[in-house]
Amino acid sequence: MTFNPAILTDNWREILDGMALTILIWAAGTAIGLVIGLAVAVLQLFTNRWLAAPLTLYVAVMRGTPFLIQLFVIYYGGPFFGLDLTPLTAGIAGLALYGGAYFSEIFRAGFLSVPPGQIEAARMMGIGRLDIVRHVQLPQMLVIILPALANMTVLLSKETAVLSVITVNELTSVVQSIGSTTFAFAETLLFLALVYWAFLEIVTAAARRLEKRVGRFMLRTPS
Amino acid sequence: MTATPDTGSRPIIDVRGVWKRFGTAEVLKGIDLAIRKSEVTCIIGPSGSGKSTLLRCIAFLEEYSEGEIYIEGELLGFSLENGKRRRVSDAEVARVRRNVGFVFQQFNLWPHMTALENVAMPLKLARGIAREDAEKRARRMLEKVGLGHRAEAYPSQLSGGQQQRVGIARALAMEPHIMLFDEPTSALDPELVGEVLQVMRDLAAEGMTMAVVTHEMGFAAQVADTVVFIDHGVIAASGSPQQVFRKDENPRLRQFLQNYFERNVFWQGAEDGAAP
Amino acid sequence: MFDVNLIIKSLPMLLQASVWTVIYSLSSVAIGFCIGTLVCAAGLSSSRLGRGFSAFYVSFFRGVPLLVQLLISYYCLPLIGVNVPSSVAAVGTLALCTGAYLAEILRGGFLGIPPGLIEAARMVGLSRAKILTRIEVPLAVRLTLPSLVNETTMMVKASSLISVVGVLELTRLAQNIATSTFQPLEIYLTAGAIYFVINGAITLVGGFAESRFRLEKAR
Repeated sequence: MTFNPAILTDNWREILDGMALTILIWAAGTAIGLVIGLAVAVLQLFTNRWLAAPLTLYVAVMRGTPFLIQLFVIYYGGPFFGLDLTPLTAGIAGLALYGGAYFSEIFRAGFLSVPPGQIEAARMMGIGRLDIVRHVQLPQMLVIILPALANMTVLLSKETAVLSVITVNELTSVVQSIGSTTFAFAETLLFLALVYWAFLEIVTAAARRLEKRVGRFMLRTPS
Repeated sequence: MTATPDTGSRPIIDVRGVWKRFGTAEVLKGIDLAIRKSEVTCIIGPSGSGKSTLLRCIAFLEEYSEGEIYIEGELLGFSLENGKRRRVSDAEVARVRRNVGFVFQQFNLWPHMTALENVAMPLKLARGIAREDAEKRARRMLEKVGLGHRAEAYPSQLSGGQQQRVGIARALAMEPHIMLFDEPTSALDPELVGEVLQVMRDLAAEGMTMAVVTHEMGFAAQVADTVVFIDHGVIAASGSPQQVFRKDENPRLRQFLQNYFERNVFWQGAEDGAAP
Repeated sequence: MFDVNLIIKSLPMLLQASVWTVIYSLSSVAIGFCIGTLVCAAGLSSSRLGRGFSAFYVSFFRGVPLLVQLLISYYCLPLIGVNVPSSVAAVGTLALCTGAYLAEILRGGFLGIPPGLIEAARMVGLSRAKILTRIEVPLAVRLTLPSLVNETTMMVKASSLISVVGVLELTRLAQNIATSTFQPLEIYLTAGAIYFVINGAITLVGGFAESRFRLEKAR
């Protein structure tokens, strides 16, 4: 087995593009996923059951089926509904819908962690339901659910690799195609693993620091 | 009441100058204690005095920092080479203490096994006894502690007193030469204490060698051959129950006993129990 | 038009393929459980080397996307002279990956066992190995059953990725049918439904096992 790192340095521009796309997909998917998750949790908890039931089904389905199949349904099945998405849009939409289901569970647990007495108190003062969510519940629960949110966000960064299967030119796809055109599988794939590994470690460490800082911040302000 | 202690022979347990330190805290400070065959030794003392730690050192659940503990003549836990102490293997520790039974304050029954399995499993796995024989012996032991009818129950389905009796049966099944009891009734509701103490009384009457860390002064007064009072990591008083409970002048012991006199009336029973 | 007939026609084939999905994912969880137990034991041992290895293992297999791990085992194993069927390599990779997650789950379980239960086992003379297999592992499993069931469903889902390295299972077969019939929506929805049912069944069985093995039974 030979080892030739030049294969990587020769293609550094493509690899950097791949990395950039991976991060873009991750950021967009997470951001939209968070919005979906929060919306689903609020609708599930604070509206009638006719709206909550289909949302519960959505969460169960997204959590109970493989992400890859979800991507296939969106990307290949989309045209059936007149949705002719590019691989990139389909991928980001898939990641957001998938992450949104998990995020909604986290938000739901967060809402339930705020003592009901506080909400009753706010209600008695005539504060609207959404204002209670925004000013009473969210600020308190965010500290509690931050570790879970951070954890899920980190997990989503790994899922971006699956988008290579629907031909999105993200990092895995780029490096893999370099590998198969040059037959330098060892160099390219081990490099790929190392990049993800380093990336994950950095992001995880950053999440830990963020949790600590937010924790300290909350301790300083009396609640 | 109990069989006559055999004072002539070598002690079953011989504790010599044992120290135990946790970091900078000195919990045991030079303990000397000998326990002879068929003798019942009750170890009393205020909480935090080191009495449980001593018992756990004798079982080698804690490594003692200094001194020597001999079990039936064999040094426990260490080997001496040119005066230097060296920790021996876990298997060697297990061999030396194979005749020591231990009963825990918190029972420590394995919750995923029935009462019968709790007693039979060690026989099979540690002693290599065939399943049928192990279960037969386990059943006998459960009957001995009055729980033959609860053999198939899981620990969570048993009362505290019943769990502790299973704990005793589990230790007895290994046919130990000495039984160590670490506050066996302290975790029990008051009305369940009696059934456990009765099992222990029967054992003592059969001539079992026992060391019991306890707060049950009545039991100590009636059953013990020797009462040892530990305070601040040293043996502050020891002797027959009569000597310790009635004649001892140690002010700390007087104070300690005073607390019990105020809360419990037990001396009536001790009067005849302590007399030889 | 949504083609229900196609679904009915391809359902038997898809169900057959889903048997492979179940076999691959369950066997990788079983092997991964043994790996996880060992990695976890190393992590809790007093040996610095053991702890270092355990931390490295968990960090690597949780830090690299499973798809990349699968690609490595598929393309790189032959390079170092290991020629095994792709299904074997894929199951092995799934097992290594889930082993890292299971190690972390079991770690929580092991640390949750009251130390007195281990002391009791030592006092009746059980060897270190017997204490591990007869006391610690059964208790850790009971304590962590919900997480273990969840990890199993995660692996059923993750097993869909082995289609990428050419192993025939539910997702791969769905792809084959979808490309030959040009009706991907029906086929992928059906495949998704089958995964959903498999995971539902696992969750049900897990819930049953939980109530059966609950350590604190009511008196």
